[in-house]
Amino acid sequence: MSTVRVLGIGSPSGDDQAGWLTVDALLSKCVLSGHELVIEKLDRPGASLIPKMENASWVILVDAMQSTGQVGQVQRFDQTDWAGYCQGLSSHGFGVLAALSLAHELGCLPHRLDVYGIGIGQVTPGEAPSESIQVAAKQLAMRIATDLNNKQFA
Amino acid sequence: MTEQKRTVSIHVPVLTRVEGEGALDLRIENGEIVELRLRIFEPPRFFEKFLEGHSYTEIPDMVARICGICPVAYQATAAQALEKLFGVELNPWAQAMRRVFYCGEWIQSHSLHIHLLAAPDFFGCNSVIELARIAPDEVRRGLRIQALGNELMELFGARSVHPVGIRVGGFHHAPALSQISAIRDKLRAALPEAEALIRWAASIPVPQDNQAFVSVAMHHASDYAIERGQIVTSDGLNIEADAFDTHFAEHHEPFSTALFSTYQQQPYLVGPLARLNLNHDRLPERVKTLLAETGLTLPSRNLFHSLTARAVEILLALHEALRLLEGYRVPDTPWVPVTPRAGVATGCTEAPRGLLWHRYEMDADGCVVNARIVPPTSQNQGRIEEDLRLSLLNLGLDQPDDALRLHCEQVIRNYDPCISCATHFLRMKVERG
Repeated sequence: MSTVRVLGIGSPSGDDQAGWLTVDALLSKCVLSGHELVIEKLDRPGASLIPKMENASWVILVDAMQSTGQVGQVQRFDQTDWAGYCQGLSSHGFGVLAALSLAHELGCLPHRLDVYGIGIGQVTPGEAPSESIQVAAKQLAMRIATDLNNKQFA
Repeated sequence: MTEQKRTVSIHVPVLTRVEGEGALDLRIENGEIVELRLRIFEPPRFFEKFLEGHSYTEIPDMVARICGICPVAYQATAAQALEKLFGVELNPWAQAMRRVFYCGEWIQSHSLHIHLLAAPDFFGCNSVIELARIAPDEVRRGLRIQALGNELMELFGARSVHPVGIRVGGFHHAPALSQISAIRDKLRAALPEAEALIRWAASIPVPQDNQAFVSVAMHHASDYAIERGQIVTSDGLNIEADAFDTHFAEHHEPFSTALFSTYQQQPYLVGPLARLNLNHDRLPERVKTLLAETGLTLPSRNLFHSLTARAVEILLALHEALRLLEGYRVPDTPWVPVTPRAGVATGCTEAPRGLLWHRYEMDADGCVVNARIVPPTSQNQGRIEEDLRLSLLNLGLDQPDDALRLHCEQVIRNYDPCISCATHFLRMKVERG
């Protein structure tokens, strides 16, 4: 049973590919997806994110983030940043925050959860991600690889 | 005598099918409803124009983009219409797997609606997150069932959102025997969970709100109609999909970009409860037995039974998928060759939310000249308005504003329209004179 999962969330819309690019960069560093470690790209999973975290002891989640900061800025979130969210849920708007909040209520969160947001700019469908996002994804992948290495998964 | 003027405006700011806006305008004066309008903006109308000029080979993938929740319905209906026009007979494998694929969509869509959208209302919760605090096992079970539906869709469509499995003439790909064997084990394991879901759904107290309406659904000689059958109504109509236009009409209302559908100039119901009303005799014996145990009498005229109807259809879909996957063999080819021809054809299937009808005019090269798509949400739009009016009168217009708003939301969600996501945002402005 896999115990560590790196999940890169995104969509094929410009900078919204930030999570996918991080996964690509991680895999290019020879951090291979395997029995104890699963590295996966997810396309707007909604509530399906919850079973992706089941039975994992450590989940690293990377997603694009709208912020007032610079494009490419990486931010790590703690549970205190999102625990109170419970409004506005819908089949079309059930995002990462809602899934994590629901997983929290159900006691499905892993023992360790690292949530990274990468600040994005344009999210035009079909367009390539900006240079800033590509650089940020590579840097974050290095940071994650180091973390994984320290746990002997790299 | 005190004159009371009361105006209730409910605004739904987000989408119908892909994206868009919907709104409910409710105005009550002197104890009477003087205005009740459900307004929906409906992107699929744009899709019909997008399709023009495109090859038949592109259509299944294009129409799948209309809805992220029920893409298989759009794919299967388009493929059915074009296959009929081109004189294509699916091989038995593809015919059966279309139904299995569709079962996956019913399972995921119904479970999503029951647990994430509808059920919280009945427990006084604002969201599934609140519901999870008081019914965690039921929510977990719902998520498992939804995930299984998604997995079944991914098996044939490569992904559950906007899958790419169907092509005119069959499927692009046939799953391996080992994959089918694994999913069958999961489907079998889910049967007791789905049975428990039916019991749970039927045990939820619902308002007594019987109304007169015509149910419209597909009906098949041997199957519980999903991907094939005749169009039938509860007042005795029985027609082929080609005759839809003769009996059903669409019209514009000035306050909505969506079309309203009528049957004999009246609103009508499509969806799970309409299907169950018309097809309960086609359920597998085990499902019939369980349904009888719930005490639900059919046909039902209470739309609040829709939640139970969805639960029943989840169990049906599990049984059907298991039955059709028994003795599975990988076919020599998952599709048959297609030669396009000019002409007009229609297709009709049962999307999770109800009857879905397509009409295509094609040229000799197999490109779309024009297309029409009549989705379930627009067919139910008039019925939702009618239901809201009757249901509010049954509830009592003198109820507090919050109670009126919650009741409106519950009524709307019974239909699982694509605006259901936004009804949690209903804003109400009250004026009293």
